[in-house]
Amino acid sequence: MDPQLLPSGVIFGLSIGSIYFTMAIGLSLCFGLMRIISLDQLLYYSLGGYITYSFGVVTGSVWLGMVGGTMVAAVVALAVERLVFRRIYEREITFSMITSFGVLIGGIGVIQFFWGVVPRPVAVPMMTQLNVLGTEVPVYRLVVIGVAALVYAGIWVFLNRTITGKAIRAGIENVEHVEGLGINVSRLFTLTFVIAGALSGLAGGLHAPLIMVYPQMGLEVLAFVFMVVIIGGLGSIKGTLVSALIVGQVVSLGSLVYAPLAQMAPFAAMLLILLVRPTGLFGSALLKR
Amino acid sequence: MTASDAILNVSDLNVAYGESKVLFGVGLRVAPSAIVACVGRNGAGKTTLLKSIAGFVKPRSGTVSFGGTDLVGRASYDIAKLGVKYVPQDKKVFSDLTVRENLELGSYSTQDYDWERVYGYFPKLRQLLDRKAGYLSGGERQMLMIGRAILGRPQVLLVDEPTEGLAPSIVTHLKDVFRDLSSSTALVIVEQNLPLVCAISSKVYALKEGHIVAELSRGESITVDACERYL
Repeated sequence: MDPQLLPSGVIFGLSIGSIYFTMAIGLSLCFGLMRIISLDQLLYYSLGGYITYSFGVVTGSVWLGMVGGTMVAAVVALAVERLVFRRIYEREITFSMITSFGVLIGGIGVIQFFWGVVPRPVAVPMMTQLNVLGTEVPVYRLVVIGVAALVYAGIWVFLNRTITGKAIRAGIENVEHVEGLGINVSRLFTLTFVIAGALSGLAGGLHAPLIMVYPQMGLEVLAFVFMVVIIGGLGSIKGTLVSALIVGQVVSLGSLVYAPLAQMAPFAAMLLILLVRPTGLFGSALLKR
Repeated sequence: MTASDAILNVSDLNVAYGESKVLFGVGLRVAPSAIVACVGRNGAGKTTLLKSIAGFVKPRSGTVSFGGTDLVGRASYDIAKLGVKYVPQDKKVFSDLTVRENLELGSYSTQDYDWERVYGYFPKLRQLLDRKAGYLSGGERQMLMIGRAILGRPQVLLVDEPTEGLAPSIVTHLKDVFRDLSSSTALVIVEQNLPLVCAISSKVYALKEGHIVAELSRGESITVDACERYL
């Protein structure tokens, strides 16, 4: 590995990890509170990317597209929660996985209907490069890292400093007891699901300029995002952050050493971590249905 | 006491988990400011009775009337908001949250921030405000659960096995708290500790295999022997 590539490799890994984190945090919250596996988050990620693309084409502003993508993803997530998930929260966890996979596949069909199957390029909103330790690094990647840091801070403040966030944390431990205090848990579920959808849309929008948008883009990141949630520990926000950074670095630095490692190394890392800590880095053994 | 005098009136309640029937035509009446106890062996249906009143278990048939409002079919959070709160047996507080945050959640739904009243019953909670609830002892957890539930001044408090596994000094303290609380809140207590039941209850219902087999009232004889006869 060329040591000259190391700084850019690390920043590349941080930016990829930031995108995984922004997406995985919603999945983690959904599992923690509602005990569902919400594969449809990958659809909101794709929608975020496509809306960013379309807004970029129409208005010329990719940033505006990212805001639009986040909002559209939140609205679609709200509709799916109301129409689909509300009916299946009580069912087995595998039921939510199968149902959400159906929503994802159906959604990909809708994307193909409106945008076609040809990959679409999204302009990088800022082309500036920054010299970091002698290597040129795209500033956009630093912006992605900054946005993920803001998301983490925002989620932390929401969960720890607002009463609704505290109710969500309490619900992750015991939904029935929260309801027994007179708190409408169904509303907490909806709010959490919409936040997760919006963050997935934001992740898609942020990722779009770094890749081309295409209908199966969600399926492409599926394994990595789930890896992040599992390594971090189901339902743990801190774990999701640490795990996303690890996976991002393993993907990035692995590819610098030997290209196929970018795909393989994260799985090896996950297996190693789970061998030592079966509940993930910050997962609780108490978290079970 | 007639049905109209009762703040909580349960009649002909039938509850089943799948094919397995648990309660058979159960009925009870709770007067305002009364302490009513339900006794019975494990599996008699005591917890199911409380959970059915609180809305966590859906009855097959029967009525649960609270101040004239039918509770059957209502969501449990709605029932809690109306003023019927349930304190479960498991003593599971929100362990990742501090005592303060646990109390905040009690206040959130009720808009009652009169924590001094809670400290009046449980002074120790004031010292533990910033401690994670997961680090509390069994007795402290029970204090927190009851403290959290009495925020909003519920009219009926359903308490499931409150003294199970607690030190005698805490049991004595809880006995005084329940007596005090009953001046403003009716209590329905499921309890195995018969001396406690006899000391504080104005009425005792004995449950056996899902049936009410006896109804003892103060003035007749609520004694440990009388209760044991039906267990």
